[in-house]
Amino acid sequence: MLIASDKSTWTIALVGNPNTGKSTLFGALSGVNQRTGNYPGVTVEKKTGEVVHDGRRWLLVDLPGTYSLAPRSPDEMVTVDVLLGRRRDVPPPDVIVCVAAAGNLWRNLYLVSQALELGRPVVLALTMNDLAENDGVRVDVAALADRLGIPVVPIHPRRGEGLEALKAAVERAGAGEAPAPLAIFPEEFRREVDALAETLADVPRYLVERLLLSPSPYIEDGLGLDDDDRAALRERIEAARERLAEAGCKTPQVETTARYAWVGKATDGVVRRGERRRRLVDRVDAVLTHWLSGSLVLVLVLLVTFSAVFSWAEIPMDWIDGGFKAVGEWVSTTLPEGPINDLIGGGIVAGVGAVVIFLPQIVILIGLLAILEESGYLARAAYLMDRIMVRFGLSGRSFIPLLSSFACAIPGVMATRSIEDRRDRLTTILIIPLMSCSARLPVYTLLIAAFIPARSYLDGWIQLQGLTLLAMYLVGVVVAAAVALILKRSLLRGGAPVFVMEMPAYQWPSSVAVVRRMIDRAWDFLSNAGTIIFAVSIVMWGLLYYPRLSPEDAAPLIARQERAATELEAARTGGDSEKIAAAATALKQTEDHIAGAQQRQSLLGRMGRWIEPAVRPLGWDWRLGAATLAAFPAREIIVSTLGVIFDVGDDVAEDGNEQRLVQAVQTAKRPDGRPLFTIPVALSVMVFFALCAQCVSTLAVMWRETGSWTWPAIAFTYMTVLAYVGAFLTYQIGTLLIS
Amino acid sequence: MIARMPAVGEDEIGEMVPLSLLQAGESGRVGDVVGNVDLVHRLREMGLCDGATVWMIQPGSPCIIGLDGHRLCFRCDDLARVFVQLPAAC
Repeated sequence: MLIASDKSTWTIALVGNPNTGKSTLFGALSGVNQRTGNYPGVTVEKKTGEVVHDGRRWLLVDLPGTYSLAPRSPDEMVTVDVLLGRRRDVPPPDVIVCVAAAGNLWRNLYLVSQALELGRPVVLALTMNDLAENDGVRVDVAALADRLGIPVVPIHPRRGEGLEALKAAVERAGAGEAPAPLAIFPEEFRREVDALAETLADVPRYLVERLLLSPSPYIEDGLGLDDDDRAALRERIEAARERLAEAGCKTPQVETTARYAWVGKATDGVVRRGERRRRLVDRVDAVLTHWLSGSLVLVLVLLVTFSAVFSWAEIPMDWIDGGFKAVGEWVSTTLPEGPINDLIGGGIVAGVGAVVIFLPQIVILIGLLAILEESGYLARAAYLMDRIMVRFGLSGRSFIPLLSSFACAIPGVMATRSIEDRRDRLTTILIIPLMSCSARLPVYTLLIAAFIPARSYLDGWIQLQGLTLLAMYLVGVVVAAAVALILKRSLLRGGAPVFVMEMPAYQWPSSVAVVRRMIDRAWDFLSNAGTIIFAVSIVMWGLLYYPRLSPEDAAPLIARQERAATELEAARTGGDSEKIAAAATALKQTEDHIAGAQQRQSLLGRMGRWIEPAVRPLGWDWRLGAATLAAFPAREIIVSTLGVIFDVGDDVAEDGNEQRLVQAVQTAKRPDGRPLFTIPVALSVMVFFALCAQCVSTLAVMWRETGSWTWPAIAFTYMTVLAYVGAFLTYQIGTLLIS
Repeated sequence: MIARMPAVGEDEIGEMVPLSLLQAGESGRVGDVVGNVDLVHRLREMGLCDGATVWMIQPGSPCIIGLDGHRLCFRCDDLARVFVQLPAAC
């Protein structure tokens, strides 16, 4: 067995069932010294932290939550390999810390019984004692430690209780011997394991046992056998299983029977279970999971969440807008007139400012979704949604990744790791970008605020603008359901997937975890604004600024502008207010005309007019076409491009508290003087953005998670086609209805 | 209330019924889990093992059941069927 090590660095592995507070413990132990990365070749997050205890450095490895150490996927194989010290990128663990919830010790000890067979010292950290006691469960810690033969430490990581005791127990365990292997399995089974182990040199006994219990291609892959040896091994295993079945110990049932028998003996008399009272939270849960009342609450929760995003974000958005406006004004008055002035004021400040203003909405949405998830409510929502999802060939498990995609598709795609079936996972990944992510909010908000009348019904409880926004989210959802249905019947054919999920206990969301997620997303968004959007803003500005009108073309226009200015001057001296107003309008028109002529003449104008025939059926002009094209790397770019095109630094009337870009798009005109945007045009732009895959980062994460470019390519193609068709139908039908 | 009934002893044989027939609040002991081998093994690992006491919290498909202090939701369909033994007395 492993001998006590006196090296200066220890590796401590954390394992446990999902929802046991393992990650909270990891966070409490490692504090800010955390690193996340990926194990090469698989999609398991590699979370490591550092602790210094008694002058010794501990490398803490947080492994994904699991119910069993039976590798069913390459991802689960990583956990087993780390624990057995079979990976090159993580040193073999000196101590394994098993995290178990006191309230369901029985099931948690199943995993502990497996950990005890790995030949490493094990320490059991017991969490959620308070919740267990509420349920009438009392655990005699000393007696349990005695029965299991390993240290057991009750902890409360959020309050920081028991951490020192845990560290001391780990220190002692690491300096001691590994526990003797348990004799859990029946005699016949152990004999077969011994016999098989003799034919497999250097393979840990635990893996030999697993091979005998259930077929696992991932373990076989790791043995480095050639095809003949592998076939021979399979034959030996098959023969052994038959012998075992005849002896009345069928695989794989023998494992659960034997382990739970061991758990039963270990907990007998140690865990006292009082009368489980029906508490208020149970009654609330019954309402929240009832198909009718639960669904109504779910709709209400989502409605409140999304309207809160709008109402709470309003004030900080106005501050940000005011801040960028002040900077823009300072630039345009301080710097000399010319390209540099225009680049900074009209390009960078207008472009980046137009996007950064949406930071409050995104942060609030992420925060609210994090609260819903941390509290345990999202698992209930997944349960409720299973009834609906199963009709589209998916299970309730796909709901949480899809819902988090309303905040951002990237964590959504990563959250699909919890879906076991490959086809279900791929289907979910392919429809995720149809969920309206927070980067689409800027587009929706801008156009809704500008063009959808602020009517309200039922004493202001229901607002037309809110309904329009809801409709945009629904467009994505309905299309996603249809796409899932089609995919599950064609490319990814398969029956209704399995749905098994634990319902975590309700708990107060940890503010640290919620704030951390908000900061992470805010940082991503701002660094995007500082790099891609910054660069695209400059490029768009350049394409729109150059080439300038030639002196010959500009001369008559400038002459007209000067005449208008003189007339205005004359009217002012005359003092007739009507004449002043008329002259001012004339001057404004001339200026608009010059700006329009310059834009049409620019590179962007030429490119835009070249693609105009393609976007005209959608009701768009060349400016919208060009801005949409520029937004393919990241969809929020359209807002910054519109900011540059309509140069919000200038001239927008200062009445009311409307944001400046909103006014700019409201007053945008076509060359013939008709307004650029009508309600059908605004809707058509919104539908296009609702359905289009304009996000390079999402496509990249789809590639990483699926390991092939095929899937992102399929997603991009089908979504672009759908977006075009959707926008076309919206504009054409909308125009018919309105005229 | 059936839920308050003491758990049946090992020698008492109650009626074996599919878990999906339990009403909210009723409980039983897991007798047999049949279906897809992998799924059955997974359910057993999660504690749906012979002799475990389960009680129905939210019937339907999927259903929520209580099992040793935690709640498990799963869809009872052709992939896996769980049979439970009702307490003999009822």
